[in-house]
Formats: sequence, structure tokens, C-alpha cells
Amino acid sequence: MSLHKENVKSKRRSGQLRYRWNNYKSGYLFMLPWVLGFSIFVAFPVGWSLFNSFHNVKLRGGKFQYEFIGLDNFRRILTEDNVYPVELLLYFQEMLLIIPLILFFSLVVSLLLNQKFAGRGPIRAIFFLPVIFATGQVLMELFGQGAGELPFIEQYNLDGIIREYVGPQLADPIMGVLGKAVIILWYSGVQILIFIAGYQTIPRSVYEAIRIDGATPWESFWKITLPSMIPFIGLNAVFTIVDLFTFPMNPVMEQVRKNMFDVKTGYGYASAQAWLYFTLILLLLGIALWITYRSTVKRGGYR
Amino acid sequence: MKIIETIKQMNVTFNARLNNRQAQRMKKLIVGQHVSDGMLMKLVIYFLLAIIAFLYLQPLLYMLSTMVKSSGDLIDPVVQWIPQKLHFQNLSDAWRGLKYPDAFKNTMMIALICSIFQVASCAITGYALARLEFPGKTIAFILIIVSFLVPPQLTVIPLYSIYSSLGVLNTPLVFIIPAIFGQGLRGALFIIIFRQFFLTQPKALEEAAKIDGASVYRLFFKIMLPLARPAIIVVFLFSFVWYWNMYYEPSMFLNQAYQPLSIRLNLLEQELMGNKLINFAVAVGKDPLTEGPKMAGAFLIIFPPLLIYLLTQRWFTEGIERSGMVE
Repeated sequence: MSLHKENVKSKRRSGQLRYRWNNYKSGYLFMLPWVLGFSIFVAFPVGWSLFNSFHNVKLRGGKFQYEFIGLDNFRRILTEDNVYPVELLLYFQEMLLIIPLILFFSLVVSLLLNQKFAGRGPIRAIFFLPVIFATGQVLMELFGQGAGELPFIEQYNLDGIIREYVGPQLADPIMGVLGKAVIILWYSGVQILIFIAGYQTIPRSVYEAIRIDGATPWESFWKITLPSMIPFIGLNAVFTIVDLFTFPMNPVMEQVRKNMFDVKTGYGYASAQAWLYFTLILLLLGIALWITYRSTVKRGGYR
Repeated sequence: MKIIETIKQMNVTFNARLNNRQAQRMKKLIVGQHVSDGMLMKLVIYFLLAIIAFLYLQPLLYMLSTMVKSSGDLIDPVVQWIPQKLHFQNLSDAWRGLKYPDAFKNTMMIALICSIFQVASCAITGYALARLEFPGKTIAFILIIVSFLVPPQLTVIPLYSIYSSLGVLNTPLVFIIPAIFGQGLRGALFIIIFRQFFLTQPKALEEAAKIDGASVYRLFFKIMLPLARPAIIVVFLFSFVWYWNMYYEPSMFLNQAYQPLSIRLNLLEQELMGNKLINFAVAVGKDPLTEGPKMAGAFLIIFPPLLIYLLTQRWFTEGIERSGMVE
């Protein structure tokens, strides 16, 4: 009697396992291409460059020669290199100013584009244009020609005015940001898209309910729209950070590239530089995600 | 006495309310109930959007106007936006300098094939992450996000030696092979988009198909993939445009035998003007004479994706709203 019971139990268990494995099997099969690609084209190169960053790498006769030097590459970057740390600091400083501006600008523009008005379609089409051009060599070419500068800065002598009012100490960063205004414009294409997609997740009935309760549009923005947008702001922050920091033309990357092909420093040193940079980006992303997480948790629950 | 007092008071409040109502009607007309209803708000919106739209269009307009300027117009400080007469020499110069038919074929080949493969591989991976159960899913998702963050410079030399040992260096396969395996240009982002899309689809549909005896593969290819059309359009367009525009990767992995348009644009100036004028340009900082052909070249490069964008623009903007790209 009990033997029979046991038998049934074990049968059931093995059946369950088989059923589960059948389920898992298709999952693994679907993941297979990505796993292969990831190990060949991401994990292996990343691991190799980490390995390189602890070595002195020399290319002799078409073959790499490794000489283990521990953390010496990193020590040299921080203490002996007189260009890289400065570039790194300057770039991070600039990005810390520009990222919130991009987020703010794309939030405002997406709010405007989300309103109902005549001719919304064509106007939206214009605002999605950066998605097409922002990555390209063409845009660099245009900026190189000065086509991207804001027309009113020179026209109204904004530089002089700002210098007069806020003093030279504050004027330099302000002018720096204004000079970069075009980057803010052209790098907020995808962010605007994400925000607009985000608005569609807020049900209309919530707005109707709060209006019946007598809230003004101003209040409904602060009480409903903005809080619901917090996860999307976080997402956009992540996207902006990635977009700006992996941009191949940025000055830090330029340094890495230069050192890569320099006989004196070599690939090991360049890898160490790239890793230092990568770690800082991860840190920044961690902070952005943490802030987003905290502010959503405070509202009660992660969406 | 008391009754009269209360009636008086009621009267006062009634009047106040009446005034209030009139004021409110005025307010409704100007400010509106929704943010966008009122005339004032509409004006403000149009005004702001017009300014920003102009800033967006300005480089493009500059490109279009410079493209048709003759060298006389380019030097003349009086001519700013509108050239004295249309001058199409620049376009044909740029056409020759870019070796347009050849470079166009190369770029198209890479962009089209890679984006098709990328749509397929990212859809499959995204579906697995959204709907299939298997141990290690969370780790895979975290790894996908991390792979999005890796700066290209970090991996360029290892990749170079991998490609050279595979024997695909200087061929378009350098881009096609990673795309097949879901590691193409910003593939991680597309996987995330597909994952979000499949997460928003109703589960009942799949359950019904499963009860009817459809296998997972059939379910995916016959039901889920056709449903994913908005997401596919968004991913395809992004992917196509980004492959079309990429500069850094081809400058690393492709040599002269296979040059896409973005690389040719960089070489255009030297091709067109010879060394004498380059020296002049270096001395001055920028050479006004090469600006015309360069802008014409830039126009020739962005024209195909612009055309595709204009054609698919309606589905694209709709797709972004409907695909639940983010949730």
C-alpha cells in the first residue's frame, strides 16, 4: 500500500521534473544565440581587457607579450599621467551639468508635445529627427561648420551680459553649458520618445477624477504626472549617461585611443584607463538608479 | 430678525458665487480646463514649440542652403541663407568624392542585413526574458544591461583579434555576425524594448494557444511575432539608422576595400581639393570653399534614412506610443 504510494509520488516528481525541464528547454534554446554572442563578443573581450589592465602589453612580431605588473598601470594613471585625470575630471564635471539639463529639457518638450493641438503629428516628426541624426558623422560635420551654434548668443552679446551680471567665476560654466546647448537639444531625442511613451501609461481616468475633485492642471501635474514619471526619469538618466559616456568622440575616449597605439604606454595602460572610466560610469549609474529607487519606494511600491 | 439676517447673508454669498461663475467662464476660455484647452496655453505651446523646432531644423536648413551655394556665394559675407543662384556643382562633386554608388551599396548592405538580423535575434531573446521560465533569467537580464554599458574602446582590440582570427576582418561580416547573436550595435537596448513589449501583451492569448496544443516555437512565430509589429518597426528603424550612421566601428574594423559613407565623408575634403587647399584650411581653421561640397556630401548621406523616416514616421510615432516601449 505504502509502496504504491511512494511509487506514485516518485513518478509524479519525475513527471514534474520532466515537465519543468521541457519548459526550461525552450527558454534556454531561445536564449542560446544571445548567450553565445555574449560570451564571444562581450564577456571574452571584457575579460581580456581586464587581464590586460594588470599587465604591460607589448606587441612583438604580431604576438602579444604580457608582463604582470599588478596595479602599476593604475598607479601611473593617477600619479604620473598629467592629461588623463584632468580630462576625466573635466568631462565628468561637464556631464554632471548637462545630464540634468537634458532630462529637464526633454521632460518639458515631451509635456508640450503630449498636449492636444492642431498639427501635432508633423511637429512631433520634427522633434524625433535627432533620433536619426544624432549618432552620425554628419552631425559632427555640421557642428564643425558652426551650424549648430545657438544663433542668439552672438546676436545679443549674451556672453558680455552674463559676465557683467554674475561675475566671471560663474559665467564660465554658464557659457560652457550654453555653448553645449546644441548637444542638449540633439541628445534628447530618444529621451523625449521615452517620456511620451511614459505618459501613455497613466490612465486618463485619473486625470478626470482629480479634475472633478477640483484640482487645477498645475496641481494635477505635480500630484499625478510628475510622480508617475519618476521611473521614466530614472530610465532616461540611465540612457543619457550611457549615451554620453560611450560616445566615441568624447575627450576621455580620445585619450584612451591615443594611448592604445602609443609605443610608450601600450594597450595595457589604455585598458587600465578604460577600466577606470568604466568603473566611474558604473558608480554614476548606481547613484542614478538608487535615487530613482528611493523616490519610488517613498511613494509606496515600485511600479 | 435672525431669519432676515441669514437671508441677507445667503444673498451675498449667492451674488459672490454668480460673479465667481462669470469669472470662471472667462478663466475657462483663457486658461482652460485641461492644460491645453485654453487659448493662452495654446499660444504659449505653439510659441515654445516653434522656437525649439527652429533650433532643430536650423542645422538642416544650413546644410540645404550651403549645399547649393557657389564658391562666390560661400565667400561673400553678404550672402547668408539664400544663395544668389542655385548651384548644383557641389552635389555632383560630392557624388564623385564619396564614390556614392559604391559606398551607398556598402552602407546599405551593412545597415539592412544587420538590422534585420538584429530584429530577429533581439525579439527571440526579449521573448525568452519576458515569457519563458528558466533558472538564471535574472542574471541574464543583468548581464544584458551591463553589456549595454561597456564603452566600445574597452573591447576594441580584443574584438579586432577575434575578428581577424575568424577571418572576417574588412568584410561586412564583422557587423553581421554579432548582429545574428544579438550583440549588434546597442543590441541590449533592443532586447529590453522587446522584453517590455512582450510583457505588456495579455497572457490569456498564449494560454489559449497552449491549450489548443501549440508548441512554444509555433506560438512565438505564428502569434507573438506578428503581434509585435509596432515594436519591430521601432527597433528596425533605430537599428537601421544607427548602423547607417556609425563611424567608430567601421573606422576600426574596415579598411579601404569596404568603406561606408560615414568614413568617405571624412575623406571627402582631401579627395576633392588636393593638398594645397588643405594647407590653407589648416592655417585658417576652416576652409569656406570646401563647405559647399561637404554639406552636399552630408545631404547625400542623410537623405536615404531621412526618406525612410518620412515614410515610416506615422507608424514609428504610433509604434512608440503603443509598443509600451517602457513600462
